[in-house]
This record gives sequence, C-alpha cells and structure tokens, in this order.
Amino acid sequence: MNNPYQPIPTKILDVIEETPNIRTFVLKPEKEIPFLAGQFVELTIPGFGEAPFTPSSSHFEREVLEMTIMRVGRATGALFTKKPGDLLGIRGPYGKPYPLKEFEGRDIYIVGGGVGLAPLRALFLALVHEINKYGRIFLRYGARTPKDIVYKKQLKEWEKIKKVDIDLSVDSADEPWERKVGVVTCLMDEIPCDVKKSVAVVCGPPIMMKFVTKKLLDAGFPGKSIYLSMEMNMSCGLGQCGHCRLGPYFTCKDGPVLTWEQIKDIEEPFL
Amino acid sequence: MTIYFLPNERRVNWLARLAGGYNLFIPVKAGNGVHWQRFEKEQVDLDALALKEIRAAEPIKSFLFSPRERVALFPEPLEEPADGKPALLFGVKGCDLRGLAVHQKMFLEGEFADPFYSKRLKETVLIGADCPEPKDSCFCNLVGLKPYTVDGVDLVLSVIDEGWLVEVVSERGAKLIEGENWQPAAERQISKRDAQRQQAEGVLQQRNPKPLNPNLPQVIAERTNDEKFWAEAAKDCVECFGCLMTCPTCFCFLLYDQAKGDKVERTKVWDACYMAMYARVGGGANPRAKFIKRFINRFHCKFMHGKNQHGFYFCSGCGRCFTACMGKIDIRNIIGRL
Repeated sequence: MNNPYQPIPTKILDVIEETPNIRTFVLKPEKEIPFLAGQFVELTIPGFGEAPFTPSSSHFEREVLEMTIMRVGRATGALFTKKPGDLLGIRGPYGKPYPLKEFEGRDIYIVGGGVGLAPLRALFLALVHEINKYGRIFLRYGARTPKDIVYKKQLKEWEKIKKVDIDLSVDSADEPWERKVGVVTCLMDEIPCDVKKSVAVVCGPPIMMKFVTKKLLDAGFPGKSIYLSMEMNMSCGLGQCGHCRLGPYFTCKDGPVLTWEQIKDIEEPFL
Repeated sequence: MTIYFLPNERRVNWLARLAGGYNLFIPVKAGNGVHWQRFEKEQVDLDALALKEIRAAEPIKSFLFSPRERVALFPEPLEEPADGKPALLFGVKGCDLRGLAVHQKMFLEGEFADPFYSKRLKETVLIGADCPEPKDSCFCNLVGLKPYTVDGVDLVLSVIDEGWLVEVVSERGAKLIEGENWQPAAERQISKRDAQRQQAEGVLQQRNPKPLNPNLPQVIAERTNDEKFWAEAAKDCVECFGCLMTCPTCFCFLLYDQAKGDKVERTKVWDACYMAMYARVGGGANPRAKFIKRFINRFHCKFMHGKNQHGFYFCSGCGRCFTACMGKIDIRNIIGRL
C-alpha cells in the first residue's frame, strides 16, 4: 500500500545551535526524499505530532537533509529536546518547487527575515550550484539582533562567491555591528538589478513579507516575478485536509511559494 | 439499461440474499427521521424501511470517509488493511452522490490518492433510490441535482405500489440481481416511476422556485468584504458545528498522533473549518481568528472554489445543515440573497 500518511524513519545526525532559539537539524532519512528547493516535508516528532518544514540544504544533496527550525510552539518545543541519534519521521516532499527554469538568465533578488532564511538557503545553494545558469544573486537578510542571525559562518563564505552580493541588517544592535541597523527594507532603498527582468524571492515573518512586497512593487517588480513563501497550516500536505486554505489555494499543494500575482486579490494574504 | 420488477412479497428474500455477501445497510424510519441500520433478516420490519423518504440523517460519507480512522503507525508501518465484508448501501439518494463526487475530487483525483478511501469506495456497493417525497428541507434542484439517481450507483431502485423497479447501471449491479428470476418491468410500471419522478421534481420546483444566481461564485467573491451582510447571515450561529458535521460534502480532516508504548499511532478524524483553531499555525498566528471569517470561508469553499475549480457546487441541497442548526440558519436564504 502506498500510504501517504506514513512517515519514513529519519535519524538525527547532528543538531547545530544557530541562535538561542533556532537550531539546524541534520537528518538522514531511511529513504531519499526527492525534494526540490521550495518544497516542504512533514516532520514527525514521535508522540507529539507533525509540522511542516522546508529543507534548508541543497537539493543536489538529498541523502542528508538539513532543516533550520525556530522553537515557537508545542511541536518545535518537543523537537528541541531531541539529540543526535534520536528518531524522527519525514513524509514528502510536498508543494511546488521554485520554478528554477524560469529563473535562468535573470538576476535573483532574495530577501529573508529571521528564520525565513532557512528555505531561502535551499534556493540559494541550488542557484550557486549552477551559478552560470543565472544572472547575479542578491541576498538581503535582516534579523532582530546580531545574535539572531542564522548561518553566520556560511554568510561570510557566501559573500566570497562571484556574482553573489549580500547585505545584512539587524533591527537593533546590542553588540558591535558594522552593518546597517533597521528592518530589512532599509537594505532595499536601492535595488541594484533591472527590476523588470529580475526575480524577487521573499521569506520571513508575515509583517516583513507584507512590507518587503510593497517595497518590491514600488520599485517596479512585476507581481508575477515576486515569489512569496505563504506558509499556512499545512497539515496533511496532500491537498486534502483543508487547513491551509488561502483564497482559492491550498498552500500545501499550490504553494507554499506563490507569486504576488496569484495572491494579490486575497484579502489580508499575510497573517 | 433493462429495468426489472420485484413484487413486494419477494423483497425480503432479495435483501437477505444481498446480506449474505455484504454488510447490508438500509434506511429505516426511527424517531423523527430516517437512519441507516444494518440489515438483519430476523429483525427486519419492511414497514420501517424508508426508501421513499428523503435521505437518512447520516450522510453516506460516514461509510466511506471514516469519522475516525487509524492511518499510520510509526516507526513500523501500518499493515495492509484486512479484507472485510464490503458494505452495500441500499437506498442512496441523488443528494448523497454529490458528497461522493466532492470526496472523489478531493481524495482521489489530486497528486496523492488516499488509499483507505479508495479501497472502501471500490468495495462499497451503492444502490440508489428515487426520492418521490421531497420535504421542506430539500433543495437539490437549486444545486443541479434531481430527486433520483441515474448513474454513479450500481442499481437504481424505484418504489411503486406493487413492488420495486430495479434498473441495472453497472456490471456489479447486474450480478446483484442474478438468480432471483427477475421479470422485466412492464411499460405501465415504468411510466408510473417516471410520473413519480416528474412529480417530485415539480414539488422541488414549487418549494424552491428561484434558481441560484448563475454568477454566484463571482458574486460571493465581490461580497466577501460586505461584513454587514455576513454578520446578519451569521448572527444566530452558536458555533456548534452541527452544520459541518452533518454535511455530506465537507471533507476537512485533522491528523493527530498519540504515543502507544514505543509506537506512535496516527489518526485521521473529521474536522470543521468553523473551529477557532482550525487554520492556526505553529507560533499562534491565525488567519481566520474571527468567526465571521470562518463563516464566510464555508461559503467560499462550497459555492465559489468548488464551482470554479471542479465545476459544481460543493453542496448537495440535502438540508442537513439547517436541520441540525440550533440557530435555524437556512443556507438557502443566504445563497438565495446573493
């Protein structure tokens, strides 16, 4: 029986502390999860239930998955008690990946906020893996404080990659900080790409997505070129249970990444 | 397809024969309504058999989309479900089939098919029955249905004074009437059936004369922000969810896990989009925290997205929702005003 509710046993190989409340879980599922950047999986925390997460590792490496997760509630609270060697479950992948074919030859302007950088990392790594296919890659990332920045070391490495341009901000700097202070939109006053031909990709807290989208539209990005992570209550992942409805969409099957063009008529699309 | 006739005195024998191969469920009159009951030859009271009455209180989804079902075990997977005696639902109404159509769209026709639903649907035999006596609560004519079934079942049954007329629809249906020495129905009997059907359609037309707005999906989209309209429509709702729990087309479900020793059991239960926490995400944000948003969402689902995406209303016109409603909110009045 091909049972879509059945998780694949998955071992935790490592747990990396990114920030005081964000960890990256390095996971080895018994069977390969054939995900593409932008798709998500349902992670089973045995005895506590399931929650949807997007892998943050490259889809060119599928034997071991990484997921960067913030502790926010019951399921993630239980997940944060888990250690290397413990067992989890995964089913998926679900949803639609970023349409990388459509990104080819274009500049890609990525804006992330907080733990929203996690799914964007999967995209970023997929892009740099085949960097000749794409134009320049801009990454704009904002966190609350310097302590809340995820992938600190990797960001430094990524800055060295040719054709990659990274800028960071923090809402408030409570320790020495050489970059900008302010919400992430403060990095967007000048957008160094041809907005009519480029692609914008956004993931972060709803309030951040709302203002970043406004800024992108004001800058002239067409709605169909703005890709937003619309993560609702994606419970079954199969497009059946109804919980993740967003207007005419089930975000688990039609998303979680939707373009502004797709959601612009929905009243209050950002939670 | 050929139509056969079964005289009244042979009805019990046929039912008993069907019960030999299937878990046979029949609609019976009980209290103020009609309810599904397992057929037991010794106990059956043909006078209580409610084939001419309207649909049972319980939608047939209860048999196919289980109200509570174990769907996975972890880490060792769930074994294949054992083959039990399949169910035979005797006396399915036209409105019941709308629910079935919705569930097939949702559970079988997307990228992922639900293997549990699929297995039960394949195994379950459906015998349709005409609905010659529509009640005040019936409005199937408004959502494009008729008070009788013609397809989507294995056999169609029509009750006339002297017995039952049975029309064969599927090969499986043909097998169900083997060996009973069935006689082809007389033309006079078929005319009687057709007259009954026509009369029932007339009754529905008289009760619900005003068709729904042909642009209903569009109108609902435009009126989404008309809070005054929706607040008025929802003002008597006490959020009991009776409407959704009795709805034959509602398909929402909830998955939850429970630890059982060193194993985890995953259960699927019916859910309702009126529940306050229904759309809440981890961390606490809730796109439909206000009840009015959840109320509108139900109309979006049934009369806008269903029609736009699948070509038919996700409503069967069965009237169970306002029969169950404590506030007596009649869905017809709401969609009729749009």
